[in-house]
Amino acid sequence: MSTESDRVQPSVSQNRFDRLFDDYHQAIYRYCIRRLGRVDADDASAEVFAVAWRRIDDVPEDEATRAWLFGVAYRVVGNQFRSARRRTGLSRRIAVQRIEEPHEVIDANPTADRVLEALSSLGYDDAEILRLSVWDGLSRTEIAHVLKIKENAVDQRLHRARARLRSKFESLAATSEPEEASA
Amino acid sequence: MIELLESLDPAKNTEVDSVELRALVDEKVGLSTQMRPSVSRRWKAWPIAAAGFAVVVVAVVPWLFQPDPINLLVPDLASLNGTAGVDRLIPLAAGGVQTMDVDGETIWVMSALAGKLQKVSALSGAIEASYDIDGHVEGVVVGGSYLWLSSYDHDGEVLRFDPEAGGVDLVIPIGGMPGGSEWFGERLWVSNQSGDMFEISAMGEVLSTRRGDVKGQGMGYLWINDPDTGLISSVSPDGATDEFVIPTVEGADTMSGWGIRKVAEAGGFLWLMDGDYPFGTNLSRFDPETGEFRSMGGYTFGLLDMVELGGSLWVTSHTDHLLLKVDPDSGEAVRYAVPGKVGGLSVVDDEIWATFYQPGGALVKLGREQDLVESRDVVFDDWSLYPYRLLCTGSSVEGGPTILLEPFDWIDYGSWSVVQAQLSASGYVVCANGYVEGESTPAQRAADLKQALDESGLPGPYLLVGAGDGAHSVRLFADGRTDVAGVVLVDPMPLGFAMFYDDLLPGWGHPPWSDLDVGESGALGDLGGIPLTIIGQDSSSVFGSDRFIVGAGRETAEALDEYWQNGLEFYASLSTNSNSVVASGSGLDAIVSTKPDVIVAAVLAQLGTEPN
Repeated sequence: MSTESDRVQPSVSQNRFDRLFDDYHQAIYRYCIRRLGRVDADDASAEVFAVAWRRIDDVPEDEATRAWLFGVAYRVVGNQFRSARRRTGLSRRIAVQRIEEPHEVIDANPTADRVLEALSSLGYDDAEILRLSVWDGLSRTEIAHVLKIKENAVDQRLHRARARLRSKFESLAATSEPEEASA
Repeated sequence: MIELLESLDPAKNTEVDSVELRALVDEKVGLSTQMRPSVSRRWKAWPIAAAGFAVVVVAVVPWLFQPDPINLLVPDLASLNGTAGVDRLIPLAAGGVQTMDVDGETIWVMSALAGKLQKVSALSGAIEASYDIDGHVEGVVVGGSYLWLSSYDHDGEVLRFDPEAGGVDLVIPIGGMPGGSEWFGERLWVSNQSGDMFEISAMGEVLSTRRGDVKGQGMGYLWINDPDTGLISSVSPDGATDEFVIPTVEGADTMSGWGIRKVAEAGGFLWLMDGDYPFGTNLSRFDPETGEFRSMGGYTFGLLDMVELGGSLWVTSHTDHLLLKVDPDSGEAVRYAVPGKVGGLSVVDDEIWATFYQPGGALVKLGREQDLVESRDVVFDDWSLYPYRLLCTGSSVEGGPTILLEPFDWIDYGSWSVVQAQLSASGYVVCANGYVEGESTPAQRAADLKQALDESGLPGPYLLVGAGDGAHSVRLFADGRTDVAGVVLVDPMPLGFAMFYDDLLPGWGHPPWSDLDVGESGALGDLGGIPLTIIGQDSSSVFGSDRFIVGAGRETAEALDEYWQNGLEFYASLSTNSNSVVASGSGLDAIVSTKPDVIVAAVLAQLGTEPN
């Protein structure tokens, strides 16, 4: 327990939070946009930093900071999914939104479409570890922290997820190529 | 492939407006208002009812049906009589949060969804009168020979109810959805959610209005929260204000950042409850003698109400189905399990009464302390937002298995409380995944459970009970283990059912079931000769019901039912030692709530134990 006077945030905490925000807000925002789309990314990003503020004394220093923040983001985004699903029951709509947004920034490309479709058809765990590695650029150690798994498990899951992505992609290619040829 | 995926990053070259994002953060944590939460984040007194309604409806009504709040599928509440923690249970008009107030040995309960005000004798347990109240009414306060009801109708109003005449005789507009209300100093103090407070005489005359949010009584004062400054201050019976001002109760650094829910007196202190709904965890303490304000830290999720009895502070958690007994001096708490979601607490003749809003709707006299069952909280993973927890009750018979209850994805821990209470009373350690919120998948839950058992040292063998898509995590957990004594699957969701449902009824939406990855399921072995009981829904109350057939069409209904029944047969085939049970009148994904007795009987049958 602590007295109220103990718990007043000293200015050093404020300064630390300011630095933390400056250093990581773009990365966290991108993390959120990759999973939630633009509409919900602002609020989710802000929620991540609100948690960081409330728990500023728990935020680790140095290189562990980023993994800690991504860990919070992972759960905030998870909660957004859950809330959305509770409200609408339309979890698939979110999945569709996630794969549609990239189409805004790339030209029509059947191969790219297939990759994204393959990604969206993976289980959540597989897709997430790929996103963390490929898009968010997290290290093996950071991914282990975010997903609360051991580093060896990161290797195994990444290997498995890549294999499944390739398998899904090839399966999609096999079914669509005859259609494309006939068209 | 990976390089191509990398180039398809949807956030590539995307930048957020830093100033706008920072402003949003500041608003969330209250930094922009000098360390106080913004008014918009202030606790609203009555969303509890809406959430309670949602919980009940979501839990026990197939989502496709038009919910009929008065005739929800509810468990046989009589079965709770005699359950540990329950001394006497009085079923009330079902559904939603019931608020109550006490007048001598009479308890008045307002059931919001049913629109009924009921008068109950604490002595006999009899419902002496029941009145229909028009409109959406929640709060009830006794004072000045009347009852004062907080109504959401007509932009917020207070209804004066005359118990002699048995009806509302005066309506007082309050210009906003109602907030807290108290009878104090022979007048009513009521606030609206815009932060306006009204002082009203027994005659119904508005004596004064000012800014303020009524939080409760204690130490001989009324305590109000100034919505503009965040300060908590006292009002004496003669109306004098600000004798005490608690300087920094609200603010991101002191509690959750959501302000406070309510106050109560215990042990010579004023206690302040975290205002974060629905997951508030913290209590704080103010000592008027010394002026010390102290955060006592987090206790458990979902703190909702508190009263003083016997020098202790008694606090309820609606998410964890707990009653905490807090020592006012040390702040230490003993945790007792209660078999229901507690909406409110009151003390009558030195006994604690509570309203349960799930399961069903009931007024409950809680058991004496020596009859209550302690709950242990085994925390495994203190992750950033919501810790993974096992909430355990009971003590084990010699060599008896630890019973593990695994929830389905969209129902929180508390749904197991009746099953847990009854199995604990039969002499077993029973642990339920203390899930309250956060994303999870069957695989994650199985991994969490394995690690939690490893770290907690809870002894095997284990008897696993999984409901809905909890069947997946139970299978994943049991796969390859030799310490599983038995498995009970409660309405296990067939593999691929969510997709099948979507295909048949596109756009209808369904509960957020977590399907199991086909690869994962294919890798799972069967259960060999492990005792396995499949408890299935009653088709006639779900896909085979007239209401579903009218909505979906007979052909679709039959296809869904066939898929589901085939799924149940598949699960039964996983063990050479399986049996199946139909939970008559259950409802889809609702057996845990509506037929807990069937689950208890199935578990005890596997264990060869008679019900206690």
